[in-house]
Amino acid sequence: MRHVFRLPDVGEGIAQAEIIEYLVKPGDKVKADQPVIRIETDKAVVELPSPVAGTVVEIPFKPGDTANVGDPLLIIETEAEAPAMAQGPPPRKIEPPRPVPPQSEAAQAARILATPHTRRLARELGVDIATVKGSGDHGRITDDDVRGVAAQATAPPPKAPTAAAVQAPATAGFDFEKYGPTRRVPLKGVRKRIAEVMVRSVSTIPHVSHFDEADVTDLMAVVDREKALAESRGIKLTVLSFLAKAAAAALIAYPSLNSSLDEETGELVYKDYIHIGIATDTEAGLMVPVIRDVDRKSILQIASELQGLSARARDRSIDLEELRGGTFTLTNVGAVGGKFATPIILHPQVAILCSLRAEPRPVVRGGEVVIRTMMPLTLSFDHRVLDGAEAGRFVNYIKDLLEDPLRMLVDVA
Amino acid sequence: MVVGDFAQGTQVAVIGGGPGGYVAAIRAAQLGLEVILVEKEFLGGVCLNWGCIPSKALIHVAGLKAQIERAGNLGLITGGVSVDLQAMLDWKNRIVEKLRKGVASLLSGHGVQVVQGTARLTGESSFTVEGPDGVHRFEFEHAILAVGSSAAQLPGIPCDGRLVVDSKAALDLAPLPERLLVVGAGAVGLELGMVYARLGSRVTLVDSADRLLPMLDRDVARVMERALKDEGIEVILASRIRGLERGESSARVLLASPDGETSVEVDRILVSIGRWPNTNGIGLEKAGVKVDKRGFVTVGDRMETSVRRIYAVGDMVAGPMLAHKASYQGKVAAEVIAGQPAAFEGVEVPSVIFSDPEIATVGLNEQEAAERGIHVKVGVFPFKALGRALVLGEEGQGFTKVVSDAGSGIVLGVHIIGPHASDIIAEGCLAVSSGSHVDDLALTMHAHPTLPESIEEAAEQVEKRAIHIFNV
Repeated sequence: MRHVFRLPDVGEGIAQAEIIEYLVKPGDKVKADQPVIRIETDKAVVELPSPVAGTVVEIPFKPGDTANVGDPLLIIETEAEAPAMAQGPPPRKIEPPRPVPPQSEAAQAARILATPHTRRLARELGVDIATVKGSGDHGRITDDDVRGVAAQATAPPPKAPTAAAVQAPATAGFDFEKYGPTRRVPLKGVRKRIAEVMVRSVSTIPHVSHFDEADVTDLMAVVDREKALAESRGIKLTVLSFLAKAAAAALIAYPSLNSSLDEETGELVYKDYIHIGIATDTEAGLMVPVIRDVDRKSILQIASELQGLSARARDRSIDLEELRGGTFTLTNVGAVGGKFATPIILHPQVAILCSLRAEPRPVVRGGEVVIRTMMPLTLSFDHRVLDGAEAGRFVNYIKDLLEDPLRMLVDVA
Repeated sequence: MVVGDFAQGTQVAVIGGGPGGYVAAIRAAQLGLEVILVEKEFLGGVCLNWGCIPSKALIHVAGLKAQIERAGNLGLITGGVSVDLQAMLDWKNRIVEKLRKGVASLLSGHGVQVVQGTARLTGESSFTVEGPDGVHRFEFEHAILAVGSSAAQLPGIPCDGRLVVDSKAALDLAPLPERLLVVGAGAVGLELGMVYARLGSRVTLVDSADRLLPMLDRDVARVMERALKDEGIEVILASRIRGLERGESSARVLLASPDGETSVEVDRILVSIGRWPNTNGIGLEKAGVKVDKRGFVTVGDRMETSVRRIYAVGDMVAGPMLAHKASYQGKVAAEVIAGQPAAFEGVEVPSVIFSDPEIATVGLNEQEAAERGIHVKVGVFPFKALGRALVLGEEGQGFTKVVSDAGSGIVLGVHIIGPHASDIIAEGCLAVSSGSHVDDLALTMHAHPTLPESIEEAAEQVEKRAIHIFNV
């Protein structure tokens, strides 16, 4: 019996996934629950297990293709009598021919004015050339006519219009080739998701950025001192873990920074939990794994979780749930360098704190110039929800904790 | 050797190594597929071994001989031209062999495994090959059938390779018959009939149609009628072969026409009445591949047969039995298998007759347009008004004709009879398949002095603005 394994609904709101890799090939025997395919959704790469045991007979997609929920990903013969295949792995997977739309009767009757290239483009985009209304003389069909029909056919169903969605593409009609050769790479997966999220954030939230710097000389000494202890437990202790702990304390003190604005009802939603997202640079792009209940965890626990989450984000094995539910975000660009940055808030959160590279600098202490290790900080906040004074106090709170690590012991739960 | 108990598997099996099959095999290999190609005789198929290529070689020699004989007009004093038939055939065979080796090296260079033998389908994913060392079994994921066609024979008068020959046997000219009867005045009949005539045979063409080349533009046919007459070839139309009385080394052929019966005495008969698809005896029924009433495999525009993963291309499917059609379809089939959006649609198949003058056509002619109720505007430019045609030593017979849609000006067809028509037609092919406007041809600058200028002028003549003739 043939079992058609379809793309399951892997998480809320995810309708599509990109095929990264098939882990099996036609002719392979698979066990139930054996991972058979790797797909990439908005933020994560997920391995899907085979629901049945049997022999793979057909692989309808190829890596790089996009599948919709419900599309067949794999056809598995569940009985022993799978078709005999040639021994040895075939050099390349054969996918079934992409459906080329049947040419309608009208296509055969009337003469269609289109060059062979345009006809091929239509087949490539799954457009029946006979249904295309040509914009040229005597109904000549241009490449753009075909692309237009294809775009209509694949446009997602209209959602509640967001500011980003209703805008016409700003690059429409822009001739990039005019000034030199170009290459086109589709924006997809993580990159596409980042683009959407950033546009939504910037077009929704009036951003304000507040700059400061913290003297982390003493904190660095603590980190150095406790490194060995952490290492003995397999944990890499970093300033970022302290920053997360300090931010958690500040968020308790200033709950409006841990809120969200419900744009539909016009209400502020205060969250009685503190889940801090840590922006993580990966090959695929920026990901933000979330450490839950930071206020209830020790610094070593935070460091340990952070280590696991960022490793999983980088190798794309992270679970979608681990990327969700953040109430505040930390982004540390210290590794890259730089003195200033204006981070963009991860909507619908209301603030993001960016730390930059801590470096020895001359500063004035008691009328004397001394060398201290200074770490620049930027807080971007949603000016709809709070004002500059509160944001400044929030940063001061964090700064005080960072500058005097002992206070964490005294003040922080 | 134990045979039959081990099946070799492949992703793509191509059955037939002609211009459909070998092209499909190379394309599939280019696309990363594992390919086996089965050929029962010679790589290159009929086209390369017994068709297009060798016949063109002989046509070239015969044409050269005719040109040399006329060279006195150009101021060249030549003696009589005598023919060494065997040397001519050896030369032709060397070309064929060279091209055949070329195909073999292209296939091996692309990693295609060539299997010698006769393939028969045994199921919808398997076939056997009966080769020189026994019968082998194969299994495939996809198959491209490209087994071609064979010359049709006259009922009751089978080819014997001596007195009655088909186009293949006719290429071995020796011994040259004194009198040749060509049955069927299509491309093969005209081409080989002219070769024989120019080498010294007295040639009679007989055809059942009541006009010469009924499928072509009427004016093209008229020019060809005159050319045949000049060549000394007698044409008998509206006549059928009624019977054959064999003599010692010659035969009396009885012809029936509406006017009554006649007979001709001949030394050899070339039967060129068309071709039949080789769809019998290859196990199509075992695989479940459907054929139509005339024996052609039914295919869709992606060359898919009634059986999933089995494709068919070339002469064994409906349409003109031409090598370039087979090759095009072979590429389509290979690309479809590889998941590409290829299709055999929106293409015009050009056709060429390598007679002298050559005939080349693409798209609709005036008669076909009229039958479809399409109002056309036509432009014609004669080669006698074209400098390049005259300096080639030709007398400038023939013309280029552009047929366009009267309303839109879109080029519907191009019809050429004249020197190097087979080369000039390329521009017409591009124009028709791209849906060019007549202006696109007229306003494209053509190099002077060249034969393709006739396209520009014929396109201009559509709007009565050709320069080198009076636009009446």
